[in-house]
Amino acid sequence: MTRLRSILAHPAVGGLCRLLIGGIFIYTAVPKLLRPDDFARLVSGYRLLDPGIVNLAGITMPWIELIAGAFLVIGIIPRSSALVIAGLLAVFMLAGALALLRGLEISCGCFFPLMGDHTLGWDLLARDAILLLITLQPLTWPSTFLPCLRKTAPSF
Amino acid sequence: MSRSHPAPSRSGHSDALVVLLGALAIVVGSSALGLAVNHFSPRRIPLFAGTSVGQELAPAPGRVRQGLAPATAVPLPKGLSPITLPDARAALDNHLALFLDARPPDQYAESHIPGALSLPSDAFDDTFPDLADKIEASPFLIIYCEGAECSDAIHVAERLTEYGFLGTRVMVDGFRAWVDAGNPVTVGSSP
Repeated sequence: MTRLRSILAHPAVGGLCRLLIGGIFIYTAVPKLLRPDDFARLVSGYRLLDPGIVNLAGITMPWIELIAGAFLVIGIIPRSSALVIAGLLAVFMLAGALALLRGLEISCGCFFPLMGDHTLGWDLLARDAILLLITLQPLTWPSTFLPCLRKTAPSF
Repeated sequence: MSRSHPAPSRSGHSDALVVLLGALAIVVGSSALGLAVNHFSPRRIPLFAGTSVGQELAPAPGRVRQGLAPATAVPLPKGLSPITLPDARAALDNHLALFLDARPPDQYAESHIPGALSLPSDAFDDTFPDLADKIEASPFLIIYCEGAECSDAIHVAERLTEYGFLGTRVMVDGFRAWVDAGNPVTVGSSP
């Protein structure tokens, strides 16, 4: 158990986790930024938000994904960045589960509009759960690529 | 190579509070940035959809159990016009319009609106030249994709508008709603 803990806490593992999770969020945020109307349309498909504020989610959510992803990769306030990403993943999973339980057949918009059109399914929620588990690493053992922050950075 | 920070010296509660405040700062700051960029963007969309074109449209029933709120269409980009399911059905019955299916070819082959031509959004440049004559011969085009949440029909309509086709309408409720409303479909890779 101690050995597993020391492996998980290793800075190299932290760097890989941050690159993976942050990179995915940056990669998926950019096309959403370029077409906020398309993304808002996808969000409306989940039928969870009041129609009046769907656009607001379409405008702001991609920027939260981008900034949190970039901060996580670089290592700026890594625990806070990881917390934001974990929160987003939890929201995605909750929204997806509710949509599936209500029988909706919609595009998940996960890697919108890259990598094809994925219909929302439990397999995609399982993938989000794995990403959420990986996000726990930088949340628990924060690390950074910035030399100036390695010794002096606060733990957030 | 990255390094772990030393163990925090603050108490657990204040440490968690600092992490939480940092997360809040990211959310607020990023949202403010998004709102500012949207304000100056050529693809600007309204913050609230209450007065959008989409609100005037018939709600999309979707493939969903009873008792759920319908999806609401996000406003179409400037220059594009929507068409409701009943109007699209009337256009089909009276042979007033050419239907264009913007979904991938495999979905088109599964089923599509009778007479619709396959013009996938992802393969527009490859497919359009073969269909150009038929499209140009029709004064009125109705474009659709899978559901109210998809954007393929909008992308195709935008391309056609760029090419000078002004009689385009987007069936915003999508093919699922068309099927669920009991409208006719046909199967196969030909119209």
